[in-house]
Amino acid sequence: MGVITDKLPGVLEPVPGGSVLLTAVDQLINWSRSNSLWPLTFGTSCCAIEVMMATGAARHDLARFGAEVARPSPRQADLLVIAGTIVKRMAPRLRTLYEQMAEPRYVMATGSCAICGGPFMYHSYTTVRGADEIIPVDVYVPGCPPRPEAFFYGLLTLQKMIKEGESIRHPGERRRPVLAALPEGMTLDDIRKEMQDLLSHDANVNMAAAVAEGARYSSELKDF
Amino acid sequence: MDALNLIAAVQALQPDAKVREQTDQPTLIVPAHALVALARQLRDDPTLRFDLLETHTAVDWLDEDRFELLYLLASVPLGHHLTLSVSIDRDEPVVPTLCEVYPIAQWLEREVYDMFGILYDNHPDLRRLFLEDDWVGFPLRKDYEDDFMLERPE
Ligand code: SF4
Repeated sequence: MGVITDKLPGVLEPVPGGSVLLTAVDQLINWSRSNSLWPLTFGTSCCAIEVMMATGAARHDLARFGAEVARPSPRQADLLVIAGTIVKRMAPRLRTLYEQMAEPRYVMATGSCAICGGPFMYHSYTTVRGADEIIPVDVYVPGCPPRPEAFFYGLLTLQKMIKEGESIRHPGERRRPVLAALPEGMTLDDIRKEMQDLLSHDANVNMAAAVAEGARYSSELKDF
Repeated sequence: MDALNLIAAVQALQPDAKVREQTDQPTLIVPAHALVALARQLRDDPTLRFDLLETHTAVDWLDEDRFELLYLLASVPLGHHLTLSVSIDRDEPVVPTLCEVYPIAQWLEREVYDMFGILYDNHPDLRRLFLEDDWVGFPLRKDYEDDFMLERPE
């Protein structure tokens, strides 16, 4: 791989049609990279159960996306999934693990803890408030813990990012993919209304009562 | 042994022990000076056989100015459980160690010392367990504060 990425641009650029070929090679490399992300087994608390065990087990099956080859050594892994709370004593170790991984390396922060400190953000003497204070993060997957589906969405996002992003000419460059935008002419209120209609028609939910209950609950929360 | 018989048996050994109501697991409040002797009796009594100290932790009751120490005991051969609760003064948190009865208490007590600053009399090696040796203060005390902590905004 090293030979290809180091030498190929220099050889191909001068040849007529070389850049086109180079782009094709880029696509091939990115395709194979994105479909063989080997994660590092690194879990520090409850999210690890979800991300490592539930996603790897039969029902959700991480192998469908080519990311099931969990490696216990950072030198063989491409993907660092930060699953769990990072505390002050763990931070230097996390940094070391990241630096030991070979380029290109990707980082996913799963769960509120890895994103911002989560439930331990306030009044904690040791929780690091976000893994991105220590290492750069490519994809964030919110949740406490995230559902395996959410994790897969994050993984697919990362794959998209790899396919769109890097090229041999500019290694290490990341481009954020366009993920989801609301279709034209549609607002969040429309979606909310649609959901409410669905609930009242199909699930026999008394929407008026439910909305009133929700309002009461949030006002109580404010007092609390 | 079921909860009622268990409590009766332990109270026969240590009449000062008071029952705490409304708990999932039979809980007895014992004075600190009686703790070690009672634990040894609980371990050696052939009908009780509490051979395992499952865990040991503390609660900081700041308004009541006391620490509550909890010892969760279990009997593997007989399958019953018991909690001992010891309250000590917050300004003078000293309690006898259980190391001689249950060797595992060495580690558990080091952790509680690390987090709450409870001092265990006669503990062979009372050092910090998780935090750095030069850490100042005991972070699980309710009045602990340091520069790293964030206050929740109103
Ligand atoms: S985000 Fe929630 S589930 Fe995940 S490690 Fe933090 S507390 Fe646990």
